[in-house]
Amino acid sequence: MVELQPIHAPPTSFISKYIWSYDHKVIAKQFLWAGLIFLALGGALAYLIRWQWAYPGEPVPLLGGLLFPSNGGAMTPTAYNSTFTMHGLIMIFWAITPIMIGAFGNFCIPLQIGARDMAFPLLNTLSFWIFVVSQLMILASFVVPMGAAGAAWTTYAPLSTNVGMPGAGQSLVVGAIFVTGIATIMGGVNYVTTVIRMRAPGMTYFRMPLTVWGLWLTAILNVLFVPVLGSAGLLLLMDRMFGTQFFVSGSSAVNGGGDPLLFQHLFWIFGHPEVYILILPAWGFVSDLVSFFARKPAYWYKGSVYAMIAVSVLSAVVYGHHMFVTGMSPLLGQTFMIFTLFISVPAEILFLNWLHTIWKGSIRFEVPMLYALGTIFVFGIGGLTGLPLGTIATDLQLHDTMWVVGHFHLTMGSAALLGSLAALAFWFPKMFGRMMDPTLGKIHFWITFLGLNGVFIGQLIAGFAGQPRWFYDPYHYEFLKHLQPLNTAVSHIAFVLIAGQVVFVINFFKSVFAGKKAEQNPWNVGTLEWTIPSPSPVHNFDTIPVVHHGPHEFSHPEYMKKLGRDFVYQTEEIPAGDTSEGGGATDSGEAPAAQSA
Amino acid sequence: MKIRNMRHLAAIPAGLVVWATSAVAMAAPKAWEAPHDASEHGHNIDWLINITNLFSAVLFAIMCFIMISAFIKHGKKHSAEYDTGDGKNAVMMAMAISAVIFVIVDGNLFVNSTKDVFGTFWNFEKVDKDPQTLKVEVQGRQWMWQMRLAGKDGKFNTSDDALSDHELVVPVNTPVLLQLASPDVIHTFALPHFRIKQDAMPGMINLMWFQGKEEGEFPIVCVQNCGANHYQMAGTLKVVSKEAFDEWVELKVRDSEAVWDEKDAEAHWGWAWKKI
Repeated sequence: MVELQPIHAPPTSFISKYIWSYDHKVIAKQFLWAGLIFLALGGALAYLIRWQWAYPGEPVPLLGGLLFPSNGGAMTPTAYNSTFTMHGLIMIFWAITPIMIGAFGNFCIPLQIGARDMAFPLLNTLSFWIFVVSQLMILASFVVPMGAAGAAWTTYAPLSTNVGMPGAGQSLVVGAIFVTGIATIMGGVNYVTTVIRMRAPGMTYFRMPLTVWGLWLTAILNVLFVPVLGSAGLLLLMDRMFGTQFFVSGSSAVNGGGDPLLFQHLFWIFGHPEVYILILPAWGFVSDLVSFFARKPAYWYKGSVYAMIAVSVLSAVVYGHHMFVTGMSPLLGQTFMIFTLFISVPAEILFLNWLHTIWKGSIRFEVPMLYALGTIFVFGIGGLTGLPLGTIATDLQLHDTMWVVGHFHLTMGSAALLGSLAALAFWFPKMFGRMMDPTLGKIHFWITFLGLNGVFIGQLIAGFAGQPRWFYDPYHYEFLKHLQPLNTAVSHIAFVLIAGQVVFVINFFKSVFAGKKAEQNPWNVGTLEWTIPSPSPVHNFDTIPVVHHGPHEFSHPEYMKKLGRDFVYQTEEIPAGDTSEGGGATDSGEAPAAQSA
Repeated sequence: MKIRNMRHLAAIPAGLVVWATSAVAMAAPKAWEAPHDASEHGHNIDWLINITNLFSAVLFAIMCFIMISAFIKHGKKHSAEYDTGDGKNAVMMAMAISAVIFVIVDGNLFVNSTKDVFGTFWNFEKVDKDPQTLKVEVQGRQWMWQMRLAGKDGKFNTSDDALSDHELVVPVNTPVLLQLASPDVIHTFALPHFRIKQDAMPGMINLMWFQGKEEGEFPIVCVQNCGANHYQMAGTLKVVSKEAFDEWVELKVRDSEAVWDEKDAEAHWGWAWKKI
């Protein structure tokens, strides 16, 4: 393997080092920056939406005068539709996806499997810059006449065709989805190949950290299902620009006519795996982090792997539960319902494994662990509130209400966000060579954790009370008027949550430029990335490591006695020799300073 | 600032949560309730949602109890117990717990949803055959609901149809079967007080039925984003006595016969009742 991964001289020019870099760690940081900027943009749009639900039609403070000058600073219904549409699309495709998959997929996979870079470094660079093109298309869509896309993130035809959205903004956005799809597929092919071909000697599939498992399964789903979204986008663009009628029907089609339902099938056969695309990496981070910070092996490691594989497979055959009220045949609906219910089994296995991992551990409440535990909490609520959405009878009432909005914001929103923050806090020392400030980190954790729960549990309550989603002014309806105090209170929680992100921004910049210098292994963890200096050199490993252990060998009584610390590097060969049989753990306190393995 | 004890620190967020919850509960006392159920069968759905949420709450409470116990008992001072959890007994136990939860929670959902859907909510054949049933054609368009009743001849799109915009009047304790369509974009005909909704889809005719158990006025809501004025695409469902309904139909039929124009294709948006 060594000659396949030669050590190149580090790049010297500014361009080759920071702009057109082939280094997976630099590309990871580029994705991180790009994603964080769009996360802020998506957050600003969330602020507009929450303002509208609290004070419908009133001028928006701070941003209103700038954005809606012709309407006295207040939102119009058209602007509102664009706002929630762009909020959803930006958060999913241009914030969470680049942070979680672009940044941590790139950063963790080669380092954790013992490779010097991705299998296709040039493809990796292209993937990022094509992604940037799609971001520019999104930004451009805001300034074209008639505004950005407004057909909701699901972009259902025929509303998203010229019948409902004749402006150039919708075309640009659909085009941007297609372009970012290309970037995602490029990244996905790279990740899949890298994991299959570039694992270090001894790094068997069942010795990979669960983070790599999550990212790898996500990459496989991306490669399989993003092309379907791309094809749907392309057909939609043809309907918009060349007068085809794939998705136009009824009297809005001049003659012949296609099928609007076809778009929904194409969209959701991608869209449901997408939900797991965004949560599998978070499951991986959480599964690893609860083990690392409870100083215990990940409980039933293989069970977690099988559960993640099962979810990935099932994710392809449940998508119809988004379409129960489209007039679907009852028998087909029933089939989708059964598969949907089956997903709760692997999800239960994962939860049981997480609980078992921290039980009887030696829990360290470091910042990454707080985020990881927060992820378990919000995913617990989000997952359980999905039950009545997965069966037909209960979905008849809850479909398209705020219950759905609360549910998916807790799962693929909050859980994915907290999971990403856990990963960032954990790998920050290896990425930037400096530690994040733990006090600011804890303050930010509590603001974010409580804020997310307050906002999205508030949405669940509103949905249970019957409030539909996508409403410019819910109080247009008599039966929703009594929900305004609730929505206003929840909006205020959301304002605190959004404002509280300033703490993160301060912590991030302060730590990048002036944080405490990180040691090689600040968390006392044995996976491969902690055997090399912080930050990692360009070629990662001087010699390709040889792996002898799984990623979670914590508090092994025999090794503790021999090594005097409670963790084992995956590369470490434990010398055979005298051991006292059956010796229990005597002290699992601070491990001594890490040694170079 | 160094935070020494997580347990003391946790009191702050815990207090905040209690404060925020009680503030919301006081600000919006009725926000915790589903809309009033005015339908004959909606209670089945309510029961299933509520029992599932109850199961969920119990499971979530158990999870939180285990997590918090671990936080208190198995903190930094506790020495970790080496346990990889892949022994045969451990695996069997995990599988057994998952299976029990699956059978009880998901099994209950499956059995009752299947019963409700095939027995009641999507059992259109039975409703279609029932001579009592009132049949209505509904067209959703940007941004209004249009209703068409067949009138005396029992045929749609004829001069004696009872037509109305925004308003659907139906007799109490009578099954009402709707056929839904749309000429432009997708709309969803939702009756929150009847626990039912269905898409009005261009190029398709979709079915939906309900039965009011009490007289009154209830909102018709479009719940699928259908453009700028989506939120205003409201209508009213009036559930009235049999006599009041007959009177209303007579009035409407007289109205539409007066303005009947054979050549006005736009006005004849109805369709021959689709066989079920």
